[in-house]
Order: sequence, then C-alpha cells, then structure tokens
Amino acid sequence: MIETWAGFGGGADARGVRPAGSAGKAGERAGSRVLVVDDDPSILDTVTSILTSEGFQVMAAAGGQEALALLHSWHPTLVLLDMRMPIMDGWAVARAMQESGSKVPIIVMTAAESAKRWADEIGAAGHLAKPFGLDELLECVEEHSGPRRRN
Amino acid sequence: MTALELITLLSQAIYVVIFLLVGYRYLRARTPAHLDMTIFFGILAFVVVESRIATYLGLVQPEWFTDTVVAAVVLLPYILLRLVDDFTTVPVVIKRGSELALVASVIGLYVFQGPTLPPAYVLAIVAYIAGLSFYCGLRFYRAAARAEGVTKRRMQAISLGTILFALDIVAAGAGGQMSDPWKTLLAAIGQVLGLASALGFFLGFAPPSFLRRAWQAPELRRFLARAASLPRLPSTLDIVRELERGAAAATGSQARIGVWDEDLGKIRMWNDPAAEPIHIEPGRHFSGRAFEQQKTLFSSQPARDDPEAAAAYRGARVGAIIATPITAGEKRLGVLVLYAERPPIFALSDGELAQLLADQAAVVLESRALIDHAARLRAREEATRLKEDFLSAAAHDLKTPLTTVVAQAQFLERKATRDPSAPSDLQGLQRIVREAQRLSALVTDLLDAARLEQGRLVSDREPTDLGMLVTQVASRQRAGAHSVEVDVKGAVVGNYDGRRIEQLMENLIENANKYSPNATPVTVGVWQENGEARITVQDRGIGIPASDLPRIFDRFARASNVDDRKFHGMGLGLYICRGIVEEHGGRIWAESEIGKGSTFHVALPLSEERRLN
Repeated sequence: MIETWAGFGGGADARGVRPAGSAGKAGERAGSRVLVVDDDPSILDTVTSILTSEGFQVMAAAGGQEALALLHSWHPTLVLLDMRMPIMDGWAVARAMQESGSKVPIIVMTAAESAKRWADEIGAAGHLAKPFGLDELLECVEEHSGPRRRN
Repeated sequence: MTALELITLLSQAIYVVIFLLVGYRYLRARTPAHLDMTIFFGILAFVVVESRIATYLGLVQPEWFTDTVVAAVVLLPYILLRLVDDFTTVPVVIKRGSELALVASVIGLYVFQGPTLPPAYVLAIVAYIAGLSFYCGLRFYRAAARAEGVTKRRMQAISLGTILFALDIVAAGAGGQMSDPWKTLLAAIGQVLGLASALGFFLGFAPPSFLRRAWQAPELRRFLARAASLPRLPSTLDIVRELERGAAAATGSQARIGVWDEDLGKIRMWNDPAAEPIHIEPGRHFSGRAFEQQKTLFSSQPARDDPEAAAAYRGARVGAIIATPITAGEKRLGVLVLYAERPPIFALSDGELAQLLADQAAVVLESRALIDHAARLRAREEATRLKEDFLSAAAHDLKTPLTTVVAQAQFLERKATRDPSAPSDLQGLQRIVREAQRLSALVTDLLDAARLEQGRLVSDREPTDLGMLVTQVASRQRAGAHSVEVDVKGAVVGNYDGRRIEQLMENLIENANKYSPNATPVTVGVWQENGEARITVQDRGIGIPASDLPRIFDRFARASNVDDRKFHGMGLGLYICRGIVEEHGGRIWAESEIGKGSTFHVALPLSEERRLN
C-alpha cells in the first residue's frame, strides 16, 4: 500500500488549504522530498497531510519494504522513519539504505524512551520523540531537508 | 597355665574392662540403663577380682562373705531384666515373680548353712538364674529385630551374650552335680561359654568405635544416597519429610526436623504433614535448647526435663529424646530431634549418629536454600522485567494515538488561525476523534487490567438474563460491521455484574469481527448445560495457531499470526475477558483452526435456584 501526496493530489483533507509561509520558503520546501514511514495509519495520514499542506513534497510508506521501493524510485531528500514496525522494522530499513550507499538523512520517529539512543545507533540525522507537536515536526523537517537540498 | 585357665583369665579381664567402660559412661550420662549396666558388670568384676585376690593371698573368706558374693551373682539376671525393662517393657507378673524368686534364693543362701547346699536348692537357683537369663536373652533378641543400625547389632550381641551366660550357668550348675569326666568337661564348656558370653557383652555394651562406625555405615550410606537427590524436591516440607524418614530409619526411632525461620525468629516444625507447622522459640523445649546452645542434648526423662510439654510427651509416649542442631559452618539451619518410647541403652552413640545425620541434613537444607535463593532472584528479575515491559508497552501504545491527536489538533488550530473562513478539515477532525477514542479505550483497558491484578474487576452482581444481555450487545454492533447471529436457548439467569458481562461480550464479538477480515458472520450461542451457563462466540476468521492457544488470555499476549499493523490494541482484551469470567467463578477457553476460524467458550455458574430446577 503506497499512498502519495504529491502536491495536494491524494490528501483530500488538505484540499483547499493554501501552503503556508512566504512564497520563497514555499519554493524551498517544494524542492524537499520527504518520505514518511510509519505503520500507524493515523500518524502516517497526519504527518503527510501536515507536511504537504506546509509545502513539502511528501510520500507515505506504511512499512519498510514500501519505504525502500520509494527510496529507489522517488529519491527523497529526507526520511522520517518509525522504528517499531512489523515485518521490516526501522533498523532493517536503515541497514538496507546504508548497504545501497544511500546518503539520504534519516529522522527517527518513535514512541519509545530510547529515541535518541536508537537515532545514534543507526547514524540518523535527528529524532522526533512521539508524541511530538506541530512545531517540533516542522522545525526538524525544515532543518534536515534544507542542507541536503542545496547539495 | 592351661588353655582353660587362659580362657578364664580372658573372660574375667573382659568383665573388668566392660565394668570400667560402662562405669565411665554412667558418669557421663546418668541414665537408668547405664546404671544397670554398671551394677551388672560391677558385680561380675567384683566377684572376679575378689576371688583372684583371695586365691593369690591364700585367704579363707568367712561364710557370710561367700554367701553375699553368691547372692550378688544370683542378683545378676534380675539386673538383666531391669536392662530389658529400660529398653522395652517387661510384664509386671514377670517383674514381681523374679523379685520373689530372688528374695527366696537369697534367704535360702543364708538359711542353708554348711559346706554344701542341698541339691534341690542348687537346682532351683540354677533354674532361676538360667531361666530368667534366657527370658532376657529372648527379649533382647526381639528388641534387636525391631531396632535398626547400630542399636540392632548391639542388641543382637547382648542377646547372644545373655543366652550364652544362661547356658554357662546351666553348665556350671549341672557340673556341680556330676562327677568326672563329665564334671571336667562341663567345667571346660562353661569356661568357653563364659568367654563367648563376655565377648558378646563386650560387643554389645562397650563396642570399640571402629565397630560402631562399621555398623552405622550401611544406614548412613542409604541415608546419604537418598540425601543427594533431596534438594531438588518441590518443597522444603518434602525435603524435611524425606530427611525425617531417613533419620528415623537410620536410628530406629521417630525423627522430626525443625527448620530455622530467620524472619520469624522461630523454629518451624511439622508435627502433622497436613496441618500448619508449629513454631518453637529458641531456648524452649529440647529442640529450642539444642538450637540455642548448639549442642546435642539427651534426656531419658523428657517430662521432667521439659515440664512445659510434659503432657504432650506422656500423650505421645515419648520416653527419651535426642536433640541435635543442624548447622552448616556458622549458619544455623535448624534442629534434628529423635524421639523414642524408651530411653535407648546407647544414648551416647545414638547422639553421635544423630550429629552425623544432622550434618548431612545441613548440607541438604543449605543446598536447598541456595536453590531457593537463586529462584527468588530469578523471579524478582523476571517480575521487574515484566513490569518494565508493561510500562514501556503501555507508554508506547498511549503515545502513538496521542501523537496524532496533538499534531493534528495543532495543525487544525494553525489553519483556523491563518484563515478563519476556511472550511473545516473533516478528515483531520475525524482522525482526532478516532485516536482520542482509541486513547480512551486504552486507558480504560489499563485501568481494568490494574483492577484485575487486585481481583476487584467485578462488582454489583444481580440476577441477569444472559440471553437478553447478549442479544442487546449484538444488536448494538454498528451498521456495516459483520453480521452477528445470536442463538439463545431459553432464559439463562445467574448472578452477574451485567456491565462486566456486557464488556466481555463486546470484547469477544469485537475480537471475532477484528480477526475475520472477509466480513464472514459471527455466531453467538447462549444456553445452559450441566448446571452451568454457556456462551460461545464463533467466527470464521484467520484462526489462532495451536501453539498460541494456551497463552492468548495472558497479559499482552497476541497470536503470532496477527499483523500488528492491521490490528491495533495492547493485547489486554482477552486478559480482561478472562479476569471477568474468573472473578465470576467461571471458565474461558478457545478452540481454533488456522484459516477456518476460532470459537471462544465461556462457562459461568448459574444462580442457585436455576441449578435446582
């Protein structure tokens, strides 16, 4: 199951809402391609609709294998990765990315206490401890998708 | 010196040696048995030494002196009878009879004056001594048959010594009435019998320690062989029972083991395996005293030495006690107590054996304590781990819906702030509502699980018709959900907490729906059978692997074929279901076949009047 929110296409909930921020910022954000990976459909929907509405290009993956497929076909500039997922978990996704030589930065998203430690373990660029607020999410994505885009 | 003279000298020397040994023993433990032994061998030693000295010095004893010596010899079988009485029980008739005969014999000695006694009187005395000695020999033999270990061997030796002593008397009496060559032959036979009898008495009354150890060896070895496997028995009580059995077999007495309870500061002892243990304070009774003083105690008069428990000792016919501490190095573990109906003749050597057994018991109990300690540590670690697992699982499961609620709500707020006229984001709102409900359900489950741990999930029971209740729950199923077919056979009424039974049915029906992805119908049955209310919830869903069936009702359990991504929940649902059913005094179980579906069965007690109908 792969749901895409390229622009406002798939996200009916974001329809009619203008991307926020200045035109310049929106332009910068439009160049960022954020891949959201989480097995919880509500979180997946919420995060993708927020980021889409804020002007990022977003794709959603409900599991590790879908995430890897999108990584190769869609070339995201940032991955928001849930760690505890059935079948293929966050560690396996990070390992597969490393093995394929991917340099795409990862943000670990987890409800576990050990968010920071797990982020260090897989060499992630940062972490978002659930439950996170809107500002935390946007700041984190803003910070880590920016430099990458300029490279 | 002729061979016969040598034999005589040897047997006489043995009597003196035994006298010294038993006399020393009497000084160490003043039991009636030790006193009787000392008197018996004191007379023999006196007669022997006196006659040697008289012969050596060429003295001629006055007649009253000779009569007194003979009277002392006549006393011997009576002392033997007292020894028998020390160890078992001699009928009063025999006691009084032997006393009368003894008095008559002694009076006769002083009445009949002159160089020779009348043959009839001599015959009577010989018959008295020999008869009583034979009787004692037989009684010792029977006591030996009942005894175990060292006591058995020593009793056998004494029995042999006593019977040979009787034969010796017969030979001497018969020889005195005959002429040569019979007289010389019988005298020779008498000497040999005397030596053999002395040896028997020696082995029985004062055996060398190497012999005692050799006699103890088989019982000890049997005890040790059994002791090796004891620490692995299921409970300390089982171990104590086995140790007691072993100690009883090795000593031929009753054995009790008291286990020191550090927390209680008392010794725990099980007098009746089925009943609660009794508790003994250190310093009280023999067990408490032996434990406190850390030494072996012996009493041949327990009622006198421990007046507080005199009635109990008399009631249980306890006539002798050995109590010895069970101690491993510095660690006091308990006490071993041996009870006997009669004071054993060999109190000291039984005490040594008791110490050996107590040392072995210490090894067993200490090993057990180590095993228990390790198990307790493991259990504590496991409990901590489970608690941490529970907390982190609960925290994780609560944070997941909370993430959506927080981020989505803030996002809606930001959009509304930026553009108050914008249409409301229905899907965003629905996500918040859905996840808030999920949170609420999780919190309810967590609280129910906590109540369940305390066993107070169920309250306010009242007569409830399960059929009506189940029909109501099924009809509340939301439109679009799987169809639920209800089959109620008559009124099924019991005393139930209706709210909890509703929760049970909701959980079971929801579960059935959840794990039936193809919208297959769910069937619910309610009926009564064998005095029980019965409910089944049957689905045609994915099923539960047989290996998971036993643990699906455990906390956080989830069948291994359940994809967490599709099926939310903390795995508390069935755990709470089991709690509800069990607090009602019922049973819950499941049958399942992979790919064909599962059936959950519930059996609840009916109300009293229903069951009678």
